[in-house]
Amino acid sequence: MDVFVQLILNGILLGSMYAIISVGLTLIFGIVRVVNFAHGEFLMVGMYAVYLLAANLGFHPYVSAVPIVILLFAMGALVQRFIIQPLLGADEHIQIFAMVGLSTALVNLALLIFGADLYSVNTPSVRQSIAFGGYTLLIGQLVMFFCALALVAGLHFFMQTTPLGRAIRATAQNRNAALLMGVRVNRIYIFSFGLGAACVGLASALLMPLYPVTPTIGTYFVLTAFVVVVLGGMRSMYGAFAGAMIIGIVDSLSGYYIAPDLKEVVYFAIFILILIFKPTGLFGLGRGTE
Amino acid sequence: MTAKALATPAAARRKSGLLSRLTDPRVYCSLLALSLLLIIPVAIDSPFIVHVFVTICVFAALSTAWNIVGGYAGQLSLGHMVFYGIGGYTTALLIQHFSLSPWIGMWAGAALSVLVGIGIGYPCFRLRGPFFSLATIAFLEVVRLLAIHFHGVTGGAAGLIVPLKLGWQWMIFREKINYLYIAFGLLLFAMAVSWAIRNSKLGFYLTAVREREDAALAAGVSNTRVKLKAVMISAGLTSLVGSFHAMYITFLEPATMFSLATSIEIAMFSLIGGLGTVAGPLLGTVLVVPLAELARGWLGASANGLHGFVYGTVLVLITLTLPGGLAGTFGPWVVRWIDRLPGGGTRREEYEAPEARPITGTPGEPILTAENLVMKFGGLTATDNVSITLHRGEILGIIGPNGAGKTTIFNQISGFLKPTSGSISVVGPDGATRTPVSADEFARLGVGRTFQIVQPFGKLTVLENIMVGAFMRHAKVDDARAAALRVARLVGLEDIKDVEARNLPIGGLKRLEVARTLATEPSILLLDEVMAGQSQSDTQRMVQLIRTIRDSGVTVIAIEHNMQAIMSLSDRIVVVDSGRVIAQGDPQEVVKDRRVIEAYLGEDFVHAQGI
Repeated sequence: MDVFVQLILNGILLGSMYAIISVGLTLIFGIVRVVNFAHGEFLMVGMYAVYLLAANLGFHPYVSAVPIVILLFAMGALVQRFIIQPLLGADEHIQIFAMVGLSTALVNLALLIFGADLYSVNTPSVRQSIAFGGYTLLIGQLVMFFCALALVAGLHFFMQTTPLGRAIRATAQNRNAALLMGVRVNRIYIFSFGLGAACVGLASALLMPLYPVTPTIGTYFVLTAFVVVVLGGMRSMYGAFAGAMIIGIVDSLSGYYIAPDLKEVVYFAIFILILIFKPTGLFGLGRGTE
Repeated sequence: MTAKALATPAAARRKSGLLSRLTDPRVYCSLLALSLLLIIPVAIDSPFIVHVFVTICVFAALSTAWNIVGGYAGQLSLGHMVFYGIGGYTTALLIQHFSLSPWIGMWAGAALSVLVGIGIGYPCFRLRGPFFSLATIAFLEVVRLLAIHFHGVTGGAAGLIVPLKLGWQWMIFREKINYLYIAFGLLLFAMAVSWAIRNSKLGFYLTAVREREDAALAAGVSNTRVKLKAVMISAGLTSLVGSFHAMYITFLEPATMFSLATSIEIAMFSLIGGLGTVAGPLLGTVLVVPLAELARGWLGASANGLHGFVYGTVLVLITLTLPGGLAGTFGPWVVRWIDRLPGGGTRREEYEAPEARPITGTPGEPILTAENLVMKFGGLTATDNVSITLHRGEILGIIGPNGAGKTTIFNQISGFLKPTSGSISVVGPDGATRTPVSADEFARLGVGRTFQIVQPFGKLTVLENIMVGAFMRHAKVDDARAAALRVARLVGLEDIKDVEARNLPIGGLKRLEVARTLATEPSILLLDEVMAGQSQSDTQRMVQLIRTIRDSGVTVIAIEHNMQAIMSLSDRIVVVDSGRVIAQGDPQEVVKDRRVIEAYLGEDFVHAQGI
């Protein structure tokens, strides 16, 4: 029983990491209607940036979060402005190719600059574990959990109460109607893509103390994030959060009870089953086949 | 002459056709260009150059195979290495355990890949766009992880070495040039298959399904079946190439055999060269693979990542500047230039159209019976207990105010909507009464429909659009083209037959809807507001056309807002309001009906007029 509870706890903490990445992916898909195949590479870029700030200027990863979030926001906005925006009227497969191309280019650029070596930032304080009623948790994971909660709450507040948030929601629901109401849709898209990328910036600062960075780390995390997003119903931030928790727990349990090297098989199988049989997501919040 | 041609088996006719085509510059230029892939490495005779050309042939063949699903069918698979890996592992394991020659093993691998392709394709084809791509990635990852997990079979992450037995029998050689012969042969085979599909009924159907699934259904195309055919062929070809490549690299590991990065590369070569074209995948490969291989050869490990960076950047640039790819953008120009060479020019001989399907049956007998159709969308009842009987040879007009449920009725009696309750039976060409289920089944039984909101296959020409319909009754391309031409003449589209459908004005598109449906040679024709958007004179022509169609034995139902036209045209009128049939009968009677006037002009008007 103790093991089981510990596994669930681990799962929730792991899930909060997926939640931060997936909320960004959901924002971009829900508003701009583009599946960001380069999302994982944004994470990778963020993590290398955190590493460089730590190695050269001695910044603590958590301090780096501020400049990295701004950097990733800018990167997302630029991608939207110069790659996605010209392709908004193009066929869907052209958009997919553009994002896949960007992803391939970024992975290999990192490989070219940093090589295949692992880079990590040594922050013992974050890796410290604390006992919690007989169970152990890493401080870094706990921070991540609260950040995920704060992120979803903050975005909820922003979307529901601010004029910009309302404009974003209107654009997401009906682009043309929003356009007719005087919403500058292209700017909304740029801002939203930036916002989605900024979430990844936050994730990279929180992740760096716990995981070493490699050029392909993005692929590893983002495939899971896709699973989460589909599970959560593609467009719903709250669905993505819940989906992330579920995948975190599935990951943790199947790694222990089935086999560590098969845990991905388990959630990819869930992913395929959800896509096929319940494309609206587990909670029926979206429309997957649209 | 015709009798003799009919007597010869089709295969023999095609063969002689191919020989006579050798004098066509399009054919001999392609063959000459292809042979360079063999001549250059043989002439230079350096192991490195041979390696580069083997790699080109392999990737061009893989990309050509991918293009059948990704380009023709428009299903963007990013997990195609599944089939490559299955081919490679199957062949290698059969050698290892049963000493089976790879020449046989590769077919076993291909058969397995075809099965896996069906298994992946069948459930996933309902997913659109990026979600289909994501699902294929997920399948690839699952297979890769399973290949690592079951290391007892596959050798796991440590890899599997192909037993080194030399000679043609084992497909492993000391002389590298031999690999090139096989790789080149595979490329030729893949391109021949791709070319054959492009110029066949299947090729047209795939394009139709890619462009508009609903219109394809209305032309009697079963979307799933057509896509499955494409994935089966593509998976088999990919697997064959994978088997060969495994013999070439002689070392198999899950990370390379089921690589996501390579899956993406295969797709990107096609896009760079031109998605959905025969030559595109090869062009794309020839353009970027040597670049990468040379960089790897010259710069060694320091260039790690360089080729991928170049690939990715080129891909983004192509999507932004040449979304049609090289072949799609420059292809027509090059073809025009080639046609000026000796023996060139289009001289497609006038081909006699095959007989249209004769329509038999007694005029006046019920041919389509809809009983008590109820269609509910959530809380809204769109049609409420509608019953309509259609008699052979009549023109039935359906009128009613906007939102009355007319198109919903059409959607039900053509199979596009399944009624919540009620039944529809159709008398087929053989005289038997049937209750079809799916839209393509309705179409094949002879129920042809047009769409109120026009559904052209935008990237096909007018004639090709009509051909998609004609293929339902005429499987051969020449027959379908001739039949389509006949319809184009009848409907008045002959002058613009080579215009791409997306460039047509609305009047032309409405006529194209009618033409494509007519080409399926229906016995029942459902026309949904075909007069809308037509000029006065075009309306006159359309009325005349509908009469001609009816006189050839076709039964017509038309939804129309143009009162003058529909009243003069129809033998019988059904008036629908708020999902119910409120009146039916002779046109002159119906217009005097109090309920009809009320429905159109409101109760107040009726009172004012004192009717």
